[in-house]
This record gives sequence, structure tokens and C-alpha cells, in this order.
Amino acid sequence: MNVVELNNVDQMYAGGVLALSDVNVSIEAGQVVGLVGENGAGKTTLMRIAMGMLGPRRGTVRLFGLDPRRDAVGVKRRIGYVSEDQILPPFLRVDRVIDLHRSLFPTWDDALARRLAERFKISPKAKIRTLSKGQARQVALLCAVAHRPELLLLDEPAGGLDPAARREFLETSIRLLNEAGTAILFSSHYLTDVERMADRLVMLHDGRVLIDSDLDTLRESYSLALLPANGTVSRDRLLALGGCLGVRERSEGLRALFALAPGETSELLAETVGIGDAPCHRIGLEEMFIELVGGQA
Amino acid sequence: MQLFIAPGDELPIYRQIMRQITDAIAGGRLGPGEKLASQRDLAEQLVVSPLTVKKAYDELEREGLIRTERGRGTFVGERAAVDPERQRQHLRAGARRLLSRARLSGVSLAEVIALLHEVEAELGLAPAGDGLGSTGDGLGSAGGDGPPAPLSDHPFDQPHDQEEPES
Repeated sequence: MNVVELNNVDQMYAGGVLALSDVNVSIEAGQVVGLVGENGAGKTTLMRIAMGMLGPRRGTVRLFGLDPRRDAVGVKRRIGYVSEDQILPPFLRVDRVIDLHRSLFPTWDDALARRLAERFKISPKAKIRTLSKGQARQVALLCAVAHRPELLLLDEPAGGLDPAARREFLETSIRLLNEAGTAILFSSHYLTDVERMADRLVMLHDGRVLIDSDLDTLRESYSLALLPANGTVSRDRLLALGGCLGVRERSEGLRALFALAPGETSELLAETVGIGDAPCHRIGLEEMFIELVGGQA
Repeated sequence: MQLFIAPGDELPIYRQIMRQITDAIAGGRLGPGEKLASQRDLAEQLVVSPLTVKKAYDELEREGLIRTERGRGTFVGERAAVDPERQRQHLRAGARRLLSRARLSGVSLAEVIALLHEVEAELGLAPAGDGLGSTGDGLGSAGGDGPPAPLSDHPFDQPHDQEEPES
């Protein structure tokens, strides 16, 4: 059984704008899925729907086979959630915040909570408002994972943290994954973090799933072809080719992204549009993101 | 041993892991029978998904470079386990690229072979008997009747990884 199962999910913003459109995403136990997309692409909406904080306008949502709206408590006890804009009560002490969470989760693991607190070197007596941003996020992570959730939802968890605090946060997540086989869905604008951590990538654009792929496959079998600007081939012609995901027109030429390895893209271009000498490169996630988002019709 | 990975690199992370372990074995920094870090430990060290490490280890095992013994850990395999045909294919792809580049730079085959000897010395590899270079007629027939050729620097570059089309 999949940990997360979203089928044909639609969601609207107030005013009738589609926030998610026919989204299908499933996550297996132990998988780490990176969720990327521009601001407003629907990442947070997707997380909130998975959490049961929002109901979908259309479609079905299942976590561990359960409906997170109907089995709200049962589902929430099995997941952990950290977001960038999560606010812990500023005047409470760290140990009180931890107590609060402990009381909510029957599966709370005191030993794990203590280990994490020691590792983070956060004094239990400190008031939340005296903590740095990174420390506060660590407390939030501790509270999100000490009940050993089967699914960890991280919505831009590293936002606003410095590189060292970000890395520390990722390390802790990996450790948990190792210990408990927790599945992780995390959204991030830090694409290097996504490359590092994720097995699978889901890219949202305008509320739709643009890419859902094993990350290594993405790295090995996607390529960018650089084509001349002299009008030998049009953008529409390229977009009509099988495997072409996006084309950007720039003054120096066309840049076409293909879901094919570089050699295959070269062959395809030679056979179909008669351009045999277009350089085809493998590209990293960040470039892929820019080409894709900038190359949509 | 210590590994280092760079997420923005051209190679996916599991391949970076494979390449570094392969290099360490080829360079003698990891000897036959030596124990590797567990998949979990390596995932934590590198801060990458455990499935990524698993994929790298699985591939290395398929290549015959390492073997996992249930309950005991993962160890560097014996040279004999390397599938010579597969290794030769990898080497051939590397050789093709090396020679194309040499041709472009106006470097002769003899100079390339001399370079290979220099690199071999730098890496501290024992001379491979009747392997690469010493047959005197270039890379095409290297290793044909000798023992499996030693590992190249980049044995995992499949032909389709090349940026240039094949023909």
C-alpha cells in the first residue's frame, strides 16, 4: 500500500483560479520525493491537501489507505509536518513545546526526542523567542519526528536557514529515514538539496504535474539541444516532436529540452528536422527547471 | 574511505559514488576483501537518500566489484569477479573519447600511450603485464588475451553518455 495516493486532485483558490489541476501523485514507503515548482505552482496546496488541512475540490486523497479528512486524527498521528512559516509559541520554553507534542502522540519516543535535543544543543529551558531561526526549525523538526511518523511532510523546511543549518536539517532527516524507513515529501527551492536527498522528483507548474520521475533517470535521460536561430526549425515544430518538453526562444537560438539521452536527441533531430549537428547536453536540475518553466507555451 | 559528492555535477549522485569507489579500488586505496561503509552509514555521511546509496552498491555488485554478505557487510570483491566483457565495453567508450580528443588536439597515439603510462605511474598502479599499451598496437586489441584490463578512470561512462552522437 502506498503511503500517499492522490488521484485526479483539483483544488481552487478563492475566485475560481485552479490551484491544482488533475494531480496524480503516489509515494511508497521509504521514498524521498522532492517537490519543486515556482512560487504559486501549488506545492503548499498539495501538502495541505495531503495533510487533510484542505479537502480537494475533486479527486481522492488517501494516506496509508485512509481519508485524511475523515480519519483526521488517525492520519495525523502517523505523519510529521514542518513548514517554513510554522510558528511555535514564542513565550513557551522548549521543553513545554515538546511536552505539548508528546501529549498528542501515543507513539512518542522520549529517547529519540532526547537524542535530537542533545544533538541540536538546544537548552530545554530556553524560550522559543530566544532561539535562532535555525534552532527554532530544529525544535519544529524534533516535534515533527519524535513520534516516528511513517510520512514526513516538509514544506520548504530549509527556507531562511543558512547553509550549515540547512545541511544539519537534512542530515537529521536522512538519519530518521535510515532508522525508521520514513517516507519524505519535501518541497524546496534549493535544487541542490533536492538532488542530494530525493529519489524522485515531482515538478509542478501552474497546478499541474509537469514531471514525475526517478531523479537519476531524469539526470541521465534528459538533454538540452541548442539549435540555430536562423529559422531552419520553428518552436512549434520542435514541440510537436515526441519527447520534447519545452522550447525557449532566445536571441542566440532555440533551446529545446528533450526527455531523451543526448545521443538519442541528436538522432531524433537529424532524422526529423534534418539538423544533425546540434549540440545536445545533459543538464542539471536547476537548468532543467529554468528551461522547463521558461519553455512552456 | 572518504567520499565526496557534488549535487550539481553532470553525473547523478549514485554514479558519483560508483566512480569514486571504482577509482579507489583501481588505485589500490581499497583492497580486495576490504570492508565498505554500510549503506546507511554512507547515506548519513554524504547526506543523500539511502536508496541512492543502495543503487550505487547494487550496480557495483552487478559489475562484480563488490559483494554483500548478508549480516556481515559489503566488501571489495576479487578481481576475478569482474565481467571482462563489460569492462572492455566501458573501456572502449573511454578510449574512443580519449582518442577523439587527442586527435582534435593534434596529439598522436604514441603520445597518448606515453601519457597513459605516466598516469599509471601517478596512480601507483602496478604494471598490468601484457595489458594496455604494451602490446604496441594501440587500444583496440588491448586486453584481448591477457587478464581483464585494470579499471579505467571512468569505466561507467556508457556510450550513450557521450555528448557527441556515436557516428
